[in-house]
Amino acid sequence: MAQEKSARPAVEVDNASFNYREIKAVDRLSLQVPRGISFGLLGPNGAGKTTLIKLLVGLLKPKSGSIRILGEATSRKTAHLIGYMPQLHSLYSELSAMQNVDFFARIYGLSDKKERGQKVEDVLRLVEMWPRRKDSVMNLSGGMRQRVSLACALVHRPPLLLLDEPTVGLDPELRVTFWDYFTRLTGEGATLIISSHTMDDAAHCDSLVFMRAGTVIAGGTPDELKQATAKPEATLEDAFLYFIHLGDKQHA
Amino acid sequence: MPSHALTIAGRVIRQLIRDRRTMVLIILVPLVMMGLIGASFPDESVLDYIAPAMIATLALFFSFLLTGISFLRERSQGTLERLMASPVTRLDVVVGYLFGFFLFALAQTSIIIFFTIYVLGANFMGELWQIFIFQTVIIAGAVTLGIFTSTFARNEFQMVQFIPLIITPQIFMAGILWPVEQMPEYLQWLSKIMPLTYGVEGLRDIMLAGANLLDVGFELAVLIGFTIVTSILAATVLRRGAS
Ligand SMILES: Nc1ncnc2c1ncn2[C@@H]1O[C@H](COP(=O)(O)OP(=O)(O)OP(=O)(O)O)[C@@H](O)[C@H]1O
Ligand SMILES: [Mg+2]
Repeated sequence: MAQEKSARPAVEVDNASFNYREIKAVDRLSLQVPRGISFGLLGPNGAGKTTLIKLLVGLLKPKSGSIRILGEATSRKTAHLIGYMPQLHSLYSELSAMQNVDFFARIYGLSDKKERGQKVEDVLRLVEMWPRRKDSVMNLSGGMRQRVSLACALVHRPPLLLLDEPTVGLDPELRVTFWDYFTRLTGEGATLIISSHTMDDAAHCDSLVFMRAGTVIAGGTPDELKQATAKPEATLEDAFLYFIHLGDKQHA
Repeated sequence: MPSHALTIAGRVIRQLIRDRRTMVLIILVPLVMMGLIGASFPDESVLDYIAPAMIATLALFFSFLLTGISFLRERSQGTLERLMASPVTRLDVVVGYLFGFFLFALAQTSIIIFFTIYVLGANFMGELWQIFIFQTVIIAGAVTLGIFTSTFARNEFQMVQFIPLIITPQIFMAGILWPVEQMPEYLQWLSKIMPLTYGVEGLRDIMLAGANLLDVGFELAVLIGFTIVTSILAATVLRRGAS
């Protein structure tokens, strides 16, 4: 039965695996993300979050299993649908903040000068980098670079955003601003996939999964995950530890 | 024309221009080198003979090194990964770099040529535009060779090590300092597979004997062939380390 493309989930991962030589970075992982929500990937260092995001972007090809983005197999044709923010702020350090954002705007097909100028300005104001737009990236602080890097991913307003630890290095005030904006984006129909270590981010997500050793160990809304621990006072942190220990017991 | 190549070329140019010190060095270093060479050969005929070879060599050297290091940084700072995740094709990237570096390499070439003619007083025949076209082909090969080579270097130190490996042998064997015919036979063979040999040969024919581009058609064809092969190699290995 052929489903309408527009009715398919934003992300469908079916039994996908990827390994770097003997390291199984993503191990027979399945995942479905509906459209229009913010979706968290939570997990410790080395859990496979970055690898999963690279598989979704199409930078890596799964060794087995399949991946679909907005109803299509990942390819060059799906590239413009995605806004990708790598874990390391990947920017041209000699160029100014604005030149960086403008470059990626062009690359993603914003060819009309006036339209592009407006979108570049909007996104730089959003990340509160407009006053520093002319500074070379190498002269910006770590958190500022992070903001410029996010701006580069957002500027073409893609329907699917894959953000690898976007809130790292942001001050608390800006974190709140970012989450307000993320919520506005999902309200407008965009889908956000965000990897993170912090339970603060997790609490903001509409839905999330806990990952460990390349697999999903639990998934649901923040409330559902807390309830699963059967303790009324449980935090997301407790829930994460609960599922890890549950996994250990089952392995033993 | 690959659709994003010009965007990438524009960015490469902006990047270099914003790096003032590199800009100054790009202009100053070849002048110092030519000045030293000019001063150390009091006999004008020697200068006439050496100058075309130096022009070809400097173009190869600088284009190779600048592209190699720029591309290396594209890889290490993670922007290549971003590009590979975007709608840009690998051909866009290679052609974009070619266009971007043409501008600098040709500007450098003109400075060297005018300096050797008007300051050092070398005698040249051949038409300027033909020298430039020939030079463009040398630069194209050097840029694509630089991109290709940079995939085998993990950092700037390693990239610099490729100079004695890839550039220096060409300088010794291209017949710049002594004629190829005076070398042992196996070295003559080696010199025949080196692009600089054809660059020096062709540029000398144009600048010393007043040959036109048709006369140096064979050298031109070899250099174009070299550029095509290295472009394909560069595009093939481009993604390495991008993810
Ligand atoms: N380029 C690579 N070469 C070899 N192994 C790699 C490479 N990248 C990742 N790995 C391995 O794959 C596993 C998963 O790494 P990944 O980067 O996906 O984790 P992560 O969840 O993003 O971690 P972090 O929270 O630290 O960013 C790790 O064991 C890591 O060592
Ligand atoms: Mg990671």
